[in-house]
Amino acid sequence: MTATHCPYCSLQCGMRVTRRGPAVPEIGEWAEFPVNRGALCRKGWSAAGLYAGRERLTTPLLRDRATGELTPVGWDEALDTIADRLSALRAERGPDAVGVFGGGGLTNEKAYQLGKLARVALGTSQIDYNGRWCMSSAATAGTRAFGLDRGLPFPLADIEQADVVVLVGSNLAETMPPAARHLDALRERGGQVVVIDPRRTATADRADVFVQPVPGFDLALALGVLHLLVAGGLVDESYVADRTSGWADVRDSVGAWWPERVERVTGVPAPEVRALAALLGGAERVVVLTARGAEQHATGSDTVLAWINVALALGMCGTPGAGYGCLTGQGNGQGGREHGQKADQLPGYRMIDDPVAREHVASVWGVPADSLPGKGRSAYEMLDALGTDDGPSALLVFGSNIVVSAPNATRVTARLEALDLLVVADVVLSETAAIADVVLPVTQWAEETGTMTNLEGRVILRQRAVSPPAGVRSDLDVISGLATRLGSPVPFATDPEEVFSELGRASAGGKADYAGITYARIRDEAGVFWPCPSPGHAGTPRMFLDSFAHPDGRARFHVVEHRGPAEVPDADYPVHLTTGRVLAQYQSGAQTRRVRELPDSGPFVELHPMLAGRIGAVDGAPVSVTTRRGSMTASARVVTTIRPDTVFVPFHWVGANRLTNDALDPASRMPEFKVCAAAVTA
Amino acid sequence: MSERLVVVGGGMAAVRLVEELTARSYDGSMTVLADEQQAPYNRILLSAVLEGTHGVDAITLRPASWFDAHGVELRLGARVLDVDRERREVMLVDGTRIGFDRLVLATGSIPTLPPIRGLVRMDGSLHPKVHAFRSLADCRGLDAAAAPGARAVVVGGGLLGLQVARALAVRGLHTEVVEGAEHLLASQLGEPGGRVLARDLRRLGTSVYTGARVVRMTEAGVRLDNGYELSADLIVLTAGGRPSTALARRAGLMVRRGVVVDSDLRSVTDDRVHAIGDCAEHRRRVTGFVPPAWEQAGVLASVLCGGAERYDGSRSVARLRATDLEVAVLGDPEHAAGEVVEMTNPIAGSHRRLVVEGGVIVAAALVGDLSRVGLITQLYDRGTVLGPDEPGQLLLGEPAAAPVALPDEAEVCACAGVTAGTIRGCSSFDACREGTRATTGCGGCESVVRRLLDEAEPASLSRA
Repeated sequence: MTATHCPYCSLQCGMRVTRRGPAVPEIGEWAEFPVNRGALCRKGWSAAGLYAGRERLTTPLLRDRATGELTPVGWDEALDTIADRLSALRAERGPDAVGVFGGGGLTNEKAYQLGKLARVALGTSQIDYNGRWCMSSAATAGTRAFGLDRGLPFPLADIEQADVVVLVGSNLAETMPPAARHLDALRERGGQVVVIDPRRTATADRADVFVQPVPGFDLALALGVLHLLVAGGLVDESYVADRTSGWADVRDSVGAWWPERVERVTGVPAPEVRALAALLGGAERVVVLTARGAEQHATGSDTVLAWINVALALGMCGTPGAGYGCLTGQGNGQGGREHGQKADQLPGYRMIDDPVAREHVASVWGVPADSLPGKGRSAYEMLDALGTDDGPSALLVFGSNIVVSAPNATRVTARLEALDLLVVADVVLSETAAIADVVLPVTQWAEETGTMTNLEGRVILRQRAVSPPAGVRSDLDVISGLATRLGSPVPFATDPEEVFSELGRASAGGKADYAGITYARIRDEAGVFWPCPSPGHAGTPRMFLDSFAHPDGRARFHVVEHRGPAEVPDADYPVHLTTGRVLAQYQSGAQTRRVRELPDSGPFVELHPMLAGRIGAVDGAPVSVTTRRGSMTASARVVTTIRPDTVFVPFHWVGANRLTNDALDPASRMPEFKVCAAAVTA
Repeated sequence: MSERLVVVGGGMAAVRLVEELTARSYDGSMTVLADEQQAPYNRILLSAVLEGTHGVDAITLRPASWFDAHGVELRLGARVLDVDRERREVMLVDGTRIGFDRLVLATGSIPTLPPIRGLVRMDGSLHPKVHAFRSLADCRGLDAAAAPGARAVVVGGGLLGLQVARALAVRGLHTEVVEGAEHLLASQLGEPGGRVLARDLRRLGTSVYTGARVVRMTEAGVRLDNGYELSADLIVLTAGGRPSTALARRAGLMVRRGVVVDSDLRSVTDDRVHAIGDCAEHRRRVTGFVPPAWEQAGVLASVLCGGAERYDGSRSVARLRATDLEVAVLGDPEHAAGEVVEMTNPIAGSHRRLVVEGGVIVAAALVGDLSRVGLITQLYDRGTVLGPDEPGQLLLGEPAAAPVALPDEAEVCACAGVTAGTIRGCSSFDACREGTRATTGCGGCESVVRRLLDEAEPASLSRA
């Protein structure tokens, strides 16, 4: 029996895995792990189903140039072929001819080695990852406001101590169900939960206050709340004076956001805006949590800053039992953004254009600092450039199913098809692997050991519990094998614990400092919170209690302006389209759609009876959704829980992201997954 | 030399224009001539300040330091005497002359003084009991005079009058409203809506006299044309305003009700002079509300920066801002052309009217029940084409979900995917938990599971 963690979301629920028979694990409760206290959703309980499928890849596949078919080949042939073609492309077009695309589900060790592969063995600046489409807006905002981005600066269970928890664009009861237990505990104590969402979700059903704005207008709602806090004298002036800077400009900037104006812009009746502000202004401890609903917008980072401004004005950040946090999405969404698979960052959350950071990391790697490339393109921008004159002509993909998860997916798929070489390392033949030139079968979850950093900044250990099928290799082996063949000047370790120890040295002194964390400590302490700079350091469950991470120790208010979505409804595309998740599926569904115990209903279109009546749609019958970028057809779900001017499509299947908008946030480079203009027909 | 832009006025339209020009990196110099001494503030929240829901600090739009920081010259207390279009100069009352290449008139509106005998004294000042309500200074004066228990008469039953009346009533004054038209909010609402509103006000303790005019000041208060005398310690004039156009007229610009402008917000008389906000008249319309003034400011900033935007009128939404009085008026519901879908419920105190043309809501009035205002406003602003049943559905509101007995196939535990039938087949809660894993995820279904197991009768769940 092995104590480990769920293969899916950022909650990284503790679970015990017992091996029963050849390679088929059984899932059991790990009641002592504090984040989920033994609770699991059906995705976790059924995770053993990942092993039952016959679709598991067990041999490398190479596309046969004559037939166009993927054909099984040996590992050496696959890796030699990749290395030869990458070397030829680099010789012809320079190191940036090769791009690397990572994922927020990869372990810290893999994310770290992937960044090192790009910077040391390939010498390319072109590396980014799908976490750019996850919580990058919150990361940008957190860094600007607090000087440091850790999704939750406190353990999740702390929210039980708050008087009011505000969830902005989070459906955690369905996306991370065990987390909802903390909301129930809070309510039993007499606290209140506020949910802000265009849909009355399962999370909204257990809220005390539900606010239903038009998708894309959360920022204006925050401006309106702050306006009323100022108007009512509800700002914590002494906190603002002692612990923040920039307040006066922000205070003046919300003078024009009176409730009736907010009502017109957001679709939230003015009395509800007033009631929300009064609730927050009267509470002693408020926690504001944002998730993808607020963040996945071309105005995502400003929207998060607007809500941080509210939390700061109330004096909550860095106060026990209160504050602001982001509910990160992917399993290692937090750790994945800290160790060098982002276009602009080196391990330890260091910036790649900082000379001191380059010097430190290069010395750990044993290469000259000036050999490290600079900042590359962000995820969507890199994909958009694939196969163009100055973009990469080869792409290595680890832990991402781009064809399903990228915005404006038809265009992105065309860019992938324009590549000279597409290499995909995955567990199954995902939609992206299916169009690759080389497919590499890799280990998953309980077949391998590695650390993840959950949504709280708690570094946890996923431990190997079963043997991988014959023929598959770890991503760490793949990366090392490629590095060697590419003539890397330094070796690449393949043992996870050894890689973690190197990662600790590379992160030492950085913002996300793992230097004091070891596998043994993680096992003994139910995870260790970063920063943890030395073996004797206890880790940091709660941040900012004494000071924020800016040089002056103060949090910063930022003036943000309402701009609205990049695309608003018009005569041709008269409704808002928003996208999201369902409980039984995870991300692009490459894993969950293959687990038999999980219902795979396929995509659907959720719409209100008024809209259904307008277009003649019938519950269960097909409807088509069309945007400027594409079209899809799926069955209608007619529900009263959505705004009548909005439709919803889950994104776990091919289709939803053919519709979504690739407009990017200017700071975080987050695409606008969460709203665009659409037409719906029956 | 770069273009010299002079803005006459320091109100909401003027400030928005400067903000828009700054955001667009306008390369001329900007001078703002504001006749009040106060840095620009949010005028429409004055009644909220009076009521006490807003502190004065909260209505500052931009402090003087903001103008400094953006290289804009803000002159407070600068009253403009005349515009010399020949020499392109503005003359202030203190004799200063300021040259311009472009002039923007954002002079707003001025309160109308009703014909009341004794209102204005020989020296031209108002009777000491009488207050106008236009500026922050007016607001401060009224605030100082508004002692709890005092008697107030508000002259004018429009949006501003009702806001002021509610503010005074909330502060404990005995308040009465006198409106010359046959019902309240006569320029926005029809008679049924006005009646509902009057009932609401009376229920809140404020007397309403409609179809009545104040004709003279008396020793005790005021006398109405119907013979009533209302005793009053203070009288507030909110009987509307008119565009402030005296300057434009003297300068020889074409003025009807407002300064006549084209789709560039440019005077039809002089292409170096523009007008925005309450003082401007576009296609024979003057607006008197902030949102159109801001739209005009945005368009004019674009025009001044060489952009392609042009002004094509505004969709207006007027909202009453007063505690316990709910009114929203979209467009002109009494005069807009279209089919009318209307529902009045005097028992519940609500009146709702939609004017629909070609499936699009072109105007609406909502009184008393604003539960759908957020949605109706969105549909109006976006010009959404509705189906034939939708206007009626919008007025009916959401039906309450009826409790339903859970059928066996209903999923009770979404986290584990367990149906009511499966749970009913379990021997105990613990057996259910172990055998089906129901309740082991988010925990939200625990009470339903317990009910299903403990109760012999079909359990019910209110969620639709």
